[in-house]
Amino acid sequence: MTETPYRKPGCRAAGPGRTCRMAMLLLFPVLLLGGCGDGGDPAVRALQGLPEFCREVLPRVQAHQATLTQPSGERFGGTAVVGAVGEMADGINAFSLADYTSAQHQTFLNLMTLVRLDESLGFQPYLARSWEFSPDGSEVTFHLRDDVRWHDGEPTTAHDVAFTFLRATDPGTAFPNAAFWSRYREGDEGVEVLDDHTIRFRFQPHAEVLDTWRAMPIMPRHLLEDVAPADLRSHPFGIRCPVGNGPFVFQERRPGQSWSFVRNPEFPEALGGPPYLDRYIFRVIPEQSTLLAELLTGGVDLYVAPTPDQALRIQEEEGLRLLDFDFRSYVFVAWNSRRPQLADPRVRRALTMGINRQEILDGLLMGFGTVADAGVPPFHWAHDPEAGGRVAYDPEGAAALLDEAGWRLEDGGSVRTDAQGNRLEISVKYNTGNQQRQDVAEVMQAQLSRIGVAIRPEVLEWATLVEQINDPVRRDFDGVVLGWVTEFRVDDRDLFHSSGVDQPFHWSGIQDPELDLLLDSLQVVMDREAARPLWQRYQERAVELQPLTYFFYPRRLAGVNERVEGVRMDVRGEWVTVAEWWIPEAARGSPGEG
Amino acid sequence: MREDRRRLAGPGGALGRAAVRLVPALALLREGRVWSGLLLLAVPAGLLAVAVLRFDRLVPFVVSGAMDQRLAVLTLVVGLVSSWWMAERGRRRLPLEGGAGPVGPRPRDPLLRAFLGMPTGVAALVVIVLFYLTALLTPLLAPFDPAMQGDLVTGRLLPPSRDHLLGTDQFGRDQLSRLLYGARISLVIGLVAVTVAVTLGTVVGAVAGYAGGWIDAVLMRVVDMVISFPRLVLLIAIVALFQPSILLIMVILGLTQWPHIARIVRGEVMSVREREFVVAGRVLGFRPSRVLVRHVLPNSLAPVVVAATLGVGDAIVVEAILSFLGLGVRPPTPSWGVMVAEGRAHMLGAWWLAAVPGMAIVAVVLAFNLAGDALRDAMDPRRRT
Amino acid sequence: MAVFLLRRLLLAIPMVLGVATLVFLVLEVAPGDATARYAAPGVAPEALEQMRRNMGLDRPAGERYLRWMGAMLRGDFGVSLSRNEPVREVLAQTLPNTLLLSATALILAFGGGILLGTLQAVRAGGVVDRGISITTLLFYSMPSFWLALMLILVFSVQARNVWDWPFWFPASGMVSLDHGFLGSREQILDRIRHLTLPSVSLALVLAAGIARYMRASLLEVLSLDWVRTARAKGIPEWRVVVEHAMRNALGPVATLFGLYLPVLFSGTVVIETVFAWPGMGKLMVDSIFQRDTPVVLAAAFLFALLVIVGNLVADLLHALLDPRIRPAARAR
Repeated sequence: MTETPYRKPGCRAAGPGRTCRMAMLLLFPVLLLGGCGDGGDPAVRALQGLPEFCREVLPRVQAHQATLTQPSGERFGGTAVVGAVGEMADGINAFSLADYTSAQHQTFLNLMTLVRLDESLGFQPYLARSWEFSPDGSEVTFHLRDDVRWHDGEPTTAHDVAFTFLRATDPGTAFPNAAFWSRYREGDEGVEVLDDHTIRFRFQPHAEVLDTWRAMPIMPRHLLEDVAPADLRSHPFGIRCPVGNGPFVFQERRPGQSWSFVRNPEFPEALGGPPYLDRYIFRVIPEQSTLLAELLTGGVDLYVAPTPDQALRIQEEEGLRLLDFDFRSYVFVAWNSRRPQLADPRVRRALTMGINRQEILDGLLMGFGTVADAGVPPFHWAHDPEAGGRVAYDPEGAAALLDEAGWRLEDGGSVRTDAQGNRLEISVKYNTGNQQRQDVAEVMQAQLSRIGVAIRPEVLEWATLVEQINDPVRRDFDGVVLGWVTEFRVDDRDLFHSSGVDQPFHWSGIQDPELDLLLDSLQVVMDREAARPLWQRYQERAVELQPLTYFFYPRRLAGVNERVEGVRMDVRGEWVTVAEWWIPEAARGSPGEG
Repeated sequence: MREDRRRLAGPGGALGRAAVRLVPALALLREGRVWSGLLLLAVPAGLLAVAVLRFDRLVPFVVSGAMDQRLAVLTLVVGLVSSWWMAERGRRRLPLEGGAGPVGPRPRDPLLRAFLGMPTGVAALVVIVLFYLTALLTPLLAPFDPAMQGDLVTGRLLPPSRDHLLGTDQFGRDQLSRLLYGARISLVIGLVAVTVAVTLGTVVGAVAGYAGGWIDAVLMRVVDMVISFPRLVLLIAIVALFQPSILLIMVILGLTQWPHIARIVRGEVMSVREREFVVAGRVLGFRPSRVLVRHVLPNSLAPVVVAATLGVGDAIVVEAILSFLGLGVRPPTPSWGVMVAEGRAHMLGAWWLAAVPGMAIVAVVLAFNLAGDALRDAMDPRRRT
Repeated sequence: MAVFLLRRLLLAIPMVLGVATLVFLVLEVAPGDATARYAAPGVAPEALEQMRRNMGLDRPAGERYLRWMGAMLRGDFGVSLSRNEPVREVLAQTLPNTLLLSATALILAFGGGILLGTLQAVRAGGVVDRGISITTLLFYSMPSFWLALMLILVFSVQARNVWDWPFWFPASGMVSLDHGFLGSREQILDRIRHLTLPSVSLALVLAAGIARYMRASLLEVLSLDWVRTARAKGIPEWRVVVEHAMRNALGPVATLFGLYLPVLFSGTVVIETVFAWPGMGKLMVDSIFQRDTPVVLAAAFLFALLVIVGNLVADLLHALLDPRIRPAARAR
């Protein structure tokens, strides 16, 4: 989007007459309209205004792609448009892996991981053909495919994998998820390239080794080798001109508006072959009401994560369908047990019992989800909703527990007090811009006031909230409503392990030797059957201690235009089958139209 | 005199006389002063209706009510008495037969007189007064506690019905009660913001205008700076960075409005400064502050009143926009802005959730703007129509 | 004239610096920093520390301020902390969009406002006058996002799905996705369709003030002696108004241009969010939330500059349109 230089229209010769001035004024936006016009060859246009790195790399990609033959067949063709509220902030930069949407596009569209998950969450070969562990479990050797090429034609090799590992573990990179490799040997000790397509990693034995390689996409060494680790995060590669090796080739990004990808015709047949879609577009539309309007008017084919209320509307609408599927997230309130009124587990339990979570789920989430009692979501193999006994909604029981804990309701009073006359007042913080958390806070306030607990909801903007709750010294909160997307490998040590009580994410501040032991062993017991009782006990202990009030595991929602076929979604994510999406010829519309 | 009485009482005889004594507005009606008559009839009638329908609340409110509840009862009583008194005063001033008495209340102040001559201005003023009256009476009017949530499964997003005249919101709260309580927040936000703005703006403007020289230059550069900065961005920054409370929002709104007022005051002060009586004051050796406060300011205040009237509406709208960005008053406190912002999620289904508070905002802001306009026209002899 | 311009520009320098300093201070006082969005369990505190070092956030505030100032004076705005790109790039992507939107809105607002104001003045006191004044005020009284969403419901969803208009207006974005495949005429049309709803939402809010100003200004001119003379000479009323009075009435209205620029930029914050218009307003708000100081500073700097230039243009326009006013007389 460049501007042609402003040229004065021909009326200059006419002298500074009034008409001319008015005409110029009126013409201004028209000039601007034309000025940023997108005429001309899209390939050339895409290069304008790009950093030098991209001007060098993108033509190579285009040249290589031009040599490939496009597949033909009934299902090949068409463009699908996905709309979401949030921008892909990290783009296709795996070294800055943080937000969910970026991670999904990295792993399922543009880049590849060593292994991927099948529907039952078993590990399947992807970039790695096969792998084997050493008998003592301290080494893993991956055998890579030899038919995967980067989109510029370079082969993907074990050196790329080693490069990715070395850069991600380099402290200078500040890779946020460095915990992936916390048990790996450092640097060159941890990795060995045996040949171009064989690589070996060394580490202390731990559970779910493969999950790291399911989550971490491989980055191209030949393009990024010379970049200093500290510059990787802001390198143009990530958001201006990513070069991957996955089923979709990056085509263009309109900042703040859209990302487009096109088919990679040489994606290996063994991995599903080239995708059906000619083109895939991701659009950013920050306002949810607008996004729904776009889905209704055909501006987007797929609306990622509509609100539950909107979901009902989508269900009713002809030509649209609603997908709902298990997800890895949960919503909870963390209680700061450092506060005297929240130190007693009975009080925390009473708070959980005093909130009708099922009603919130049915009413505000339209039943899309299940009530949570511990942080092991339903997708997880060790998920057991009955572990520790469910904490049911029981206001009388909650009131009795509070009485027992010394918080009594005076006659005619509305707030409980303890023997010293302190009122049972709890502030609950949450962040702006998240309707679900606000709903939780507001309903909680109304419901807990019925058993004499005064909840004060406080809304803060995210960066401020983070500062207040994460600062190990201040911990300026009583309760905080949070929620996040867990990894497939659930690891709650940052939340509950007493060794981390002074670390940012230890909000609850509880210290329990049994919990510590469980958390540690869960990370090292590799055999699932041996680990199952531990998981069981962990969930029980979480229910007993109530460091958090878990609310629910919401199901993920998506509104889909019926013209796009083959859209299946599950806990692996919205984009897991994107290579199989297809549009019947009759529904494709004009070339490139969404 | 006796004749007059009879004429006024009309054919109704003794009964009519009693009626007019009791309800003086009837006399106004009969004399053809339909609008003021109706108004002075409708307001006490409404207040009486409230008193009767909410009789059960009156006594507990007086005996053991919170501040706002006692205030509501007080408003009720004062409203009844004063509307009777106004009507009675109007009746007494009715033209006597054959006499050339005044045709109605004729304020001596020419500005007020001009203002009262403008139908839109008067209508707007009435609307504003009614809004504030409603806000004050809210504890008596509201059918439910605005924070009381209904059943989340069966009681939310209900369409308007007999139980819930405006339906229920996403938590099953009664929308009418929230609208009424929200009126208090929104209307107060407007007033406080403008008070802050007027105070600060007047001080800065007056000092700059009266002192002149480098003080003026520096102050006006500051004013230019604040004006040239997109106000919403500044608001967002400040509200986002500190905890959004009602008070903060009110004060911040005021803090971004003052430069305009400062400019107006400065201009007025500069023009008044050179008039004879001020020069005389200076020559007589009065302290500048005394000249400023006693003589210059009172003569510069008229345009400020206009700006303030317009500013109230402005503050209410900006509060709504802040709510849209998630930076409004803290829940569960209802404000109209928060209600519209939250209701927009249901615009395709429960459209009334956003529409009704939205219309309330439009109505009250429009009223303030019309009143401000009329006031401005009233001050400018050339624009009187 | 040159002296006047120079003086104004010199006066602008401390103002722009003042705005930037103010913004820096506010962001400095604010809790949290740009690493907040990475803060979640599983992320090592050491990684966050390193990130801060990479971003230069470990330096003292004073040093960062001076560095920023120095770099900016050399034309270097630094690297965005949230968007992984140089700030220059980020601004280059968003500024033209905001300019397009604002310029269109300004033209609609001034065109419409002047037209309506003229109508009002000609029919002063009548039904048309009242009607226009109340209608424009009605739009002025609406929260902009509410108005915008209403427009989307009616002119996008209703118009396409219920009324079946061939030219319904898209709810969001700047161009259609098939934009690159259209002919040049269709491309312009496509842009105009996307531009309509956002610019109209912005313009409707501004039109009221302009119409009012125009009405007052024109009424004043129409009461002047030479207008009466012109009428007496038998020149048709519409020519008196359009050719003689209007030109003189436009002067004061032009000064509104400068006054409305900041208002307009405030409006873009909301409108750009609702219509997914990738401009500076939304950029700035997002950047405040993300504590992306370099972007906020640069954007504030640009905004202030635009407003100053806008005011200058307004004054020049005023001087051009109204021969009675000489710039020197207006300089403070």
